[in-house]
Amino acid sequence: MKVKIIKWNSVATWRWKIAYDDVCGICQVHFDGTCPTCKYPGDDCSLLSGKCGHNFHMHCIVEWIKQESSKGQCPMCRQKFEWKDNPALAAPTPA
Amino acid sequence: MAFATKRLGKELKKLHESLPPGIELVSAEDFQDWLLDIRVLDANPLYLNQTYRLKFKFSAQYPIEPPEVVFVNTKDRPIPMHPHIYSNGIICLDLLGSQGWTPIQNVESICMSLQSMLTGNSKNERPEGDQQFVANNRRRPRDIDFYYHDNTV
Repeated sequence: MKVKIIKWNSVATWRWKIAYDDVCGICQVHFDGTCPTCKYPGDDCSLLSGKCGHNFHMHCIVEWIKQESSKGQCPMCRQKFEWKDNPALAAPTPA
Repeated sequence: MAFATKRLGKELKKLHESLPPGIELVSAEDFQDWLLDIRVLDANPLYLNQTYRLKFKFSAQYPIEPPEVVFVNTKDRPIPMHPHIYSNGIICLDLLGSQGWTPIQNVESICMSLQSMLTGNSKNERPEGDQQFVANNRRRPRDIDFYYHDNTV
């Protein structure tokens, strides 16, 4: 019997390359979900990893850093928050 | 309001599932005002067998901005005696001010901080200038720059 493929669909899943069960400390939503102001996860609502080792949704941490009272500090450890250049890829993947 | 609402929705779900000992949710009808009761867990004679009621007020910027948290006085809920708690219920605690707040704090962690603030206290007194402050203050707690008279408490 000959089969002729007329059409095929592929489906893929993805997730950020960081701890699987972690939530953003600011909005408490999974990193694989969006920050509270976005609808779709992905590049439009990306993550930001601090050099101190703490990760947040970019939109969440930016809201915090904009506040004068944040003094530019990481909400977790209060060190100066400086981000790594390529957050999702630079972050280590815990097993 | 989306930011605060979503985060508070998550907190509320967790609070309904489980609460640390000595903390009870009294009401959370909306995402603006919540009431919680706290008790001190050890045998500190200042707070023995007492329950205290806390009122949380959230702005649309929560948790970027701290909530406003005060003790409220009802028939069987007094204002706890403490050198950092005014007799009108206003609390002077650095984590509730813009200088000490960070958005990883939440309702539960605030309640626990207040529990331990009471547990660790042995002074049966109000802050310095309490009567004058209570008589004259028209400002909201978050707009007050507290001056810490005694940082050892």
